[in-house]
Amino acid sequence: MKLAADRILSLLLLGLAAFVAVQAWQLQVPFSYDPLGPKAVPLLLAGLLAVLAIVLFVRPGAGGDWPTGALLLRLVFTMAVLGLYAALFINLGFLVTTALVSVVIAWLFGATPVKAIVGGLLLALGSYLLFTYGLGISLPTGSWIEPLLGSN
Amino acid sequence: MFDFLIQGFGVALTPLNLGLAFLGALLGTLFGALPGIGPINGIAILMPLAYTLGLPAESALILLAGIYTGSEYGGRMSSILLNVPGDAGAVMTTLDGHPLAKKGLAGPALGLSAVSSFIGATVAIIGLTLFAPLLAIVAVKFGPAEFFGLMIFAFASMSAMMGKDPLKTLIGAVLGVLISTVGVDSGTGVLRFTFDMPELYDGIDFVVMIIGLFAVSEILLMLEHAFRHDQDAEMAPVGRVMVKMSEVMYCKWAILRSSVIGFVIGVLPGTGASVASAVAYTTEKRISDHDNSFGTGNMRGLAAPEAANNASAAGSFVPMLTLGIPGSGTTAILLGALMLYNINPGPMMFSEQPVVVGGLIASLYIGNVMLLLLNLPLAGVFARVLQVPRWILVPSVAILAFVGVYQLNSDLMAIYLMLVIGVFGYLLRKFGFSLAPVVLGFVLGGLMEENLRRALSISGGDIAILFQSGLSIGLWIAAALVVLVPMFAGKFKAKFQKT
Repeated sequence: MKLAADRILSLLLLGLAAFVAVQAWQLQVPFSYDPLGPKAVPLLLAGLLAVLAIVLFVRPGAGGDWPTGALLLRLVFTMAVLGLYAALFINLGFLVTTALVSVVIAWLFGATPVKAIVGGLLLALGSYLLFTYGLGISLPTGSWIEPLLGSN
Repeated sequence: MFDFLIQGFGVALTPLNLGLAFLGALLGTLFGALPGIGPINGIAILMPLAYTLGLPAESALILLAGIYTGSEYGGRMSSILLNVPGDAGAVMTTLDGHPLAKKGLAGPALGLSAVSSFIGATVAIIGLTLFAPLLAIVAVKFGPAEFFGLMIFAFASMSAMMGKDPLKTLIGAVLGVLISTVGVDSGTGVLRFTFDMPELYDGIDFVVMIIGLFAVSEILLMLEHAFRHDQDAEMAPVGRVMVKMSEVMYCKWAILRSSVIGFVIGVLPGTGASVASAVAYTTEKRISDHDNSFGTGNMRGLAAPEAANNASAAGSFVPMLTLGIPGSGTTAILLGALMLYNINPGPMMFSEQPVVVGGLIASLYIGNVMLLLLNLPLAGVFARVLQVPRWILVPSVAILAFVGVYQLNSDLMAIYLMLVIGVFGYLLRKFGFSLAPVVLGFVLGGLMEENLRRALSISGGDIAILFQSGLSIGLWIAAALVVLVPMFAGKFKAKFQKT
């Protein structure tokens, strides 16, 4: 099992090398005075990567331990939360999304629900004040709030 | 010859830059002390802020360099008190630092390590002041062919020295260079690996890459640690932080030797604090461990790696400021930050950007004194930072990452790209890669290709130009030596021990 991780990695790297090589080969190069052109370096790198990947396949190292079960689920969930954070960042605005995400992450890292909610709200508010008033960064306020503001 | 230093102190002593040096020292010590957030993460998170605040190049660099050197101080705290290294350069500090704390000597251990850090950094900064101008004179003679040779040497010394797995170091560097080829090719205007996504035409933004690679992947790794309850270590009581003159005198040779070792290893392109502290510790163990007390709380075993990792941080500025080649993963990021200011790293930097170079070197002297003053009496205060719960720390990292990338150009695609790179970085780390080679490849890749192509268009496509001058031949030989010598030395040692 432990050897397998590096073997899988080497196959992935070989695939990547092949992909890079094919992509680079298909580049349409206009005439230029540059004898090497844009193809050479990617092709060279693809070749080097392929050689290194084969060496890795022949001499794999210890594979490290991989997350399974509940931990894997948590990792995927965290990435999904961060993805949602990005997706809603502009429409819902910085304050709302940051508060929600901070509460969820704090809870994932073992805070009690009360602590998570209070901590998350304070983090969102504190960082909003710090960024907008302290550092002068303009953050999205959220499109839902604009009609409310736009009425006056 | 030292005009640059006088001019530099003029720059570094302005109120803004003094304040930034202090802020950098403070933040750096904090970042170093927090387990999991080392110098690279701290700089990655704060770099975009320094950029948007509209700081001039030298001020931004003074702040970021302060964070870098400060975190080499701060890294020792969790090593000594919790037996958890605050960053990669502080791993060796746990070996004798934590046993000392368990004996109830946490206060003296923190004091002695602060003094060793200070001496190590001082020796190396003086070395930087003396050697950098000399190297800069040589560096001006570099043409594209020599540059290409130099980068090959940088990658060679990195793969030979860094990490336990040279193969993965090389693969990481190749991946970094490959990522740097994404975008419009500057020579011909051809689009490479952009997959018809306009967001990729300018290449992958440096800030997006660094924050994704380090901050986002760190969030995932911290989740794993929290899940496995690795962090429930008991904190040793700090007591009063003090150091006796007799203790420093007992360690004086260990400190001085390790400072020189740290400086030299720091100067070598591509190798940083983790290698320096490991070499210094093993050397010191061989020289002065007469009663086999290293690893059980020997003062010298604590002083040696601490002096070395701070010395290497200052030493790694030598190749960065004179050749434009980063001496460590962290200086690779500093170099990237300079490129954001349209400053071309390279041998001309020393003569063309005296304000930036001199100001930075002068601020290292000032910052080092500030760090000693901060770290001796206030070590107990910083130690409390170790108890910041993760459920506050991690959302803060996420917020800083999102805001840092969003404010670049208010672009959602950049945030998605950051998340994708974060997963990529996490997978790399799980596969046993260290991320520094990837960053080094990413930063140097563009320069390497540019110099190779420039050299070959000078020669009309003749590869022989790469091996024509004495300088470039010397660099190729040096590159071969750093790879081959450790390989043969290892074999020789194995034979020697068998017979």
